[in-house]
Amino acid sequence: MIESVICTGCGCLCDDLDVTVEGDRVIEVANVCLWGVNKFIATKKFHSKKDRRRLLAPQVRRKGRAFDISYDAALEEAGKILIQARRPLVYGLTNNGSWAQEAALRLARRWQARLEPGDLAFMAPYYEALARHGLYWTPLEEIRDEADTILFWGANPIHSCPRHVVRYSVFSRGRFTERGAEERQIAAVDIYPTETAKFCKPFIQIDPGQELELLQGLAAHLIEGQEPPKRVKGTKKLVKLLSEASFGAIFVGRGVSYGPARKLWEGLARLVVWLNTRVPFSLFPLASDFNSVGLYHLLLRETGSPYAPDFGAASGLSSHPTPVDWREVDALLVTGADLFWFMSEDQVQALKERRVPIIVLSPFANRTTAKAQVVFPVALSGIETEEVAYRMDGLPVELQKLISTPLRPDHQVLADLEQILGGSTGG
Amino acid sequence: MRLKIAQGHLYDPAQGWDGEVGDLYVEGERLVAPLAEVDLVIDAQGQMVLAGGIDLRGQVATYGLNMLRLWGRLPSPQQIGELYAGLGYTHVHEPFLTLYTAKYVHRELSALPIVDTSASLALNLRDLDKWLRAPEQLGEVEQNIQFLVEQTRALNVRITEPYVRFRQDYYAHRNIATENLVEILASLAQRQNCPLTLEASPELLRQPLPEPAAFHLAALGPALTEVELVQAALNHLEQGGTADLGLMQPSGYESWPNLPVQINMGFFHPLDLCPRPSKGAAARALELALQYQGANLAFSGAGPFQAPVSGYARMFSWLTDPRARLQDWGTELGDRAYSLADWINMTRTLPARLLGLKDRGHLSVGARADLAIYNLPKITDKINWSKHLGRCRTLLKAGTRVIDNFNLINPEIAKATYYLQTGSEASPWLGEMCQYRSFRLENLWVHDHLGGDWVGVQ
Repeated sequence: MIESVICTGCGCLCDDLDVTVEGDRVIEVANVCLWGVNKFIATKKFHSKKDRRRLLAPQVRRKGRAFDISYDAALEEAGKILIQARRPLVYGLTNNGSWAQEAALRLARRWQARLEPGDLAFMAPYYEALARHGLYWTPLEEIRDEADTILFWGANPIHSCPRHVVRYSVFSRGRFTERGAEERQIAAVDIYPTETAKFCKPFIQIDPGQELELLQGLAAHLIEGQEPPKRVKGTKKLVKLLSEASFGAIFVGRGVSYGPARKLWEGLARLVVWLNTRVPFSLFPLASDFNSVGLYHLLLRETGSPYAPDFGAASGLSSHPTPVDWREVDALLVTGADLFWFMSEDQVQALKERRVPIIVLSPFANRTTAKAQVVFPVALSGIETEEVAYRMDGLPVELQKLISTPLRPDHQVLADLEQILGGSTGG
Repeated sequence: MRLKIAQGHLYDPAQGWDGEVGDLYVEGERLVAPLAEVDLVIDAQGQMVLAGGIDLRGQVATYGLNMLRLWGRLPSPQQIGELYAGLGYTHVHEPFLTLYTAKYVHRELSALPIVDTSASLALNLRDLDKWLRAPEQLGEVEQNIQFLVEQTRALNVRITEPYVRFRQDYYAHRNIATENLVEILASLAQRQNCPLTLEASPELLRQPLPEPAAFHLAALGPALTEVELVQAALNHLEQGGTADLGLMQPSGYESWPNLPVQINMGFFHPLDLCPRPSKGAAARALELALQYQGANLAFSGAGPFQAPVSGYARMFSWLTDPRARLQDWGTELGDRAYSLADWINMTRTLPARLLGLKDRGHLSVGARADLAIYNLPKITDKINWSKHLGRCRTLLKAGTRVIDNFNLINPEIAKATYYLQTGSEASPWLGEMCQYRSFRLENLWVHDHLGGDWVGVQ
């Protein structure tokens, strides 16, 4: 048994898994959630009895049919796509380890490509709001220890990061919150009743489109000290909850990106800055992909901006907070994401009609691998290969290799692709 | 590779060299006795030859610092490494590594090219309050601290808040005031047989320290909020204590929109990455530097917001040239001008001693060949020190040329992170001390493949 293994199921990166290994097979995992188990035992998310198909050999698609080929032949096929591309895009990366993200950034630079994080629509407005209003950052360690007020906004942690509520925010017992949930006030705002309603009091269910009104109501009460012109049901309860806090955190889920994300982040950031003038309060995006935060950290560090860098722009490097216009892309490299899962049928069809070639790196078969010209199967980070990942509060952890595989790690495949374009062997 | 640095003006306060013309020999990565044959001669005629600079408090990898790039207030790691090299520095010491941000700090340090790095383990005394109260347990406290230093790969210990204070009223009985705590810390420092670094604060400066020589006060500048505190800091230095300056720029904040940028690392006060600049405190830090005549004061900046590395050269000139002070501060603040020996002591000799890097900061045989060579201003020149000391002509790191004729020629030179190998074991209550961490203990420790190359020092 290997103890204290890190789970790459989501951005929580829980570090308390005990994994039993027999030969090159994981046979048992303790302390894992239903989401995390799919990484260790190759099952579908939340359906631990349904197998997920593992990719075992590189594939190339000819006349609509996929054929297994050698790694070198796959590199050659991919090389043709790389060399012919004029407006290429490297997409995804939020489910890659940091070494792979660094390799992808080097590749994008050499390929003169745009690099787009898979959750840019969610995270870019967050960073824009910070740039405008400032930042009070608290790691999960301190939230667990001290926070007595938690608000989930457009977030369902039970689905996006299941053990978050147990380890950090709701039921966890910290230094000054030794009675767990009894020490905290927990609230949620959502447009659907979710599992969080069972432990969130109040659970404010609003109609779609009411988010901004609710936020404006909170701001009017708390910041301006006025009655809002139109009050959404639940406003007063939230005002009471927030004003009674002695240490709080607002966890924001991807739900906000389906509405007016920019305005919502803006309003939340303004509210949190005001709350911070009284007591410590944090605004926290609930990243569900296991290394989303690592990617933004890398982009900030290496390009000076958290937005999508475009190395092919005529004016040199430019960074974009808005998602790519798919009509501009003529070649795609997808890694650490299932792009077609998030695209509308029209967008998928448009890419197909324009015959945009797609290279995919993935450990499992998914919707995107099913449409790709070249597929590279890769080793699973944190199980079959070592890596580094950043927890959702920006703290890095080392992912271990638990079992062996003949498959290459994704950072090596990316470095090999970079070499085709004349790059170094990575490192 | 065997090198001869020929006919340079050698400066090394540790050996009493104050510009004597002579040769230095390098074999491999060390300075050696004169060699009969060499592979390369570097002509240093008319140039000053110094040991490589060491930044004792270079905030380059603090948890959350990356966020300053959102506002363009922090250069990229590549640029920071190049800036340090251009100044003639070969080592940077990060002040804020905590138990759970150790991996973060080391990832950031490994991204910094050219210069070697190290970090201080910033202890939160709140974690230790129970044991600090019991004098009989101080040995165990020290043992656990030494264990943590090695496991987090830090080089020394730093106390950022020399008190224990809880925000929660019901824990008030566990608070420990600074006046009581400094006694305990003095005992701890004596046990570990080296000075303990305390981040300076007005509160601390008002407090007479029981054993000044047992303490190093870090970043004095921001703590000098009142005129009387300058005298308190001088007293500390004159009684055998050491300190670093924490200089701040008097201007350059006009474009900053005055936003809060604060990181909560579990201390009583959050770490403010963009503190509101105080021109008074900044001036007092410089006055202190000009008043103090001894060798116990090291150079440091107050942080990347108030003292970016790109401004170090200008800060050097405030120390060495009254006219630079007149230009930047509107007053000369007296006519004191640091000699080269004074400046070398505060940027090389003393930082190396304080970090325990025995083979750095001097030019003795056996020292590592980290050499910074600068143009020597002519005596008749109106000396522009920021031009001379801020621009290294040749930089050797471990005997390898990094800068040649002002050009960076070896940006990928090997670099390492230095940490203290204490060999200490954890005592049984370490688990209790760390019980509130969300990480399992073994996942807090820093392993080989997280950063770059590691060098353990005893």
